[in-house]
Amino acid sequence: MRCAESLRVQAYFDAEVDAVSAADIERHIEHCAECRALLQDLEQVRTVLRRDSSYARTPEALRARIMGALDQESASPRPRERVSPNRRIRPFWMGALGAVGGTAIAATFAFLLLVPRLNNPLLDELVSAHVRSLMPTHLIDVVSTDKHTVKPWFAGHTDVSPVVADFEPQGYRLIGGRADYLDHQRSAVVVYQHGSHIINVFSWAGNERALPNNVTRNGYHLAFWKAGDLEYCAVSDTAWDELEGLVRLLRDIGARDGRDSAPN
Amino acid sequence: MDEKRARFEAEVLPHLDAAYRFARWLSYAPGDADDVVQEAVLRAFRGFDTLRGSDVKAWLLAIVRNCHSTALKQQRRRAFVPLPEENDAQDGYAMTATTPDPENASIRRDEKRTLDRLIAALPEEHRTVLMLREIEEMDYRQIARVTNVPIGTVMSRLARSRAALKARWLQEAEGEPHAVR
Repeated sequence: MRCAESLRVQAYFDAEVDAVSAADIERHIEHCAECRALLQDLEQVRTVLRRDSSYARTPEALRARIMGALDQESASPRPRERVSPNRRIRPFWMGALGAVGGTAIAATFAFLLLVPRLNNPLLDELVSAHVRSLMPTHLIDVVSTDKHTVKPWFAGHTDVSPVVADFEPQGYRLIGGRADYLDHQRSAVVVYQHGSHIINVFSWAGNERALPNNVTRNGYHLAFWKAGDLEYCAVSDTAWDELEGLVRLLRDIGARDGRDSAPN
Repeated sequence: MDEKRARFEAEVLPHLDAAYRFARWLSYAPGDADDVVQEAVLRAFRGFDTLRGSDVKAWLLAIVRNCHSTALKQQRRRAFVPLPEENDAQDGYAMTATTPDPENASIRRDEKRTLDRLIAALPEEHRTVLMLREIEEMDYRQIARVTNVPIGTVMSRLARSRAALKARWLQEAEGEPHAVR
């Protein structure tokens, strides 16, 4: 037979009670051996689950399939099943014409307003390059946590020489570098690990074109900045603050060490 | 890409992994989970304009649960699908094999597999509540919303699933020498 307070003890464990009830429950636990044992069990189950259970992520193939389905969905806004039966009596073409006309006008405006920002092929290239890098054996060409190894490697394999530094104490571990073809040049990619997330920092020789704004695409965050003659973009599925933390560190170093960011 | 799509990607897609895990806990069959997640994301996109409030994750997972029930009804299958046979075979292999790899790593892998198996063996309504709490770290209110049951039910299911998992885990640990059949 369980102690009658067991559900309250569980709520206490799950931080679902206010301070007054918490104090009350703590007093109860002091003289109820059963509830003390329960609390230990709850803790143990939580520890084991968080440490050892499989933590699945969306397979890339599924993610790609979903993005494709969304593309279709946004391209053809069909009248959905919510349309009431008597509206269906109207000839189909009236609705279709109305929808097409409205969509065309809306699309024209959206096109004029958004294309320069959103339809930037560079964004697609960056996201694809990031996703590709996460596939087995594509992430790193030169494996090293030492910037003195990674940086010279870029000199022979890419068109640029970006800022390379390890920020392990701040939680951003340098794990290597890679060359990627991006924006019609051999760009350099510095790869960092932050927790379980990979952050790819792309860099390429800048041109006159304005840099895109920071944006989230396909669930990945893209943060852009310029340093010297180079343009940078950090891409990851980590949280924005964490991505921006790395960007700040890199910008600080770039500002201190300007010659590092000159093209070869 | 229009503005709605951009907002959807920024606000909803960061929860795609959570939606995928939840679908796996619901059905435990990878292929089925794929279809359910895709359908749920599309429905979420269509209904994105009607989203009120800021709890996007609970909203998306509730849609996943809806899609799962619809799929179940359509396929008239039982809610619980046991793990594929080959996993059991692998378990047996790993336990009997005298592999030269570092013992700790291999024990740890076995433990992970055992744990996954025990989780899979829980009834679906217990498994989902437990994992939403411990892995997705949702509070009772959010879990009630996602699973569409009252908070009291969430609490009793949580208590039962935790007790069951603990008991089976212990059983497994004690029965270790006999586990090699």
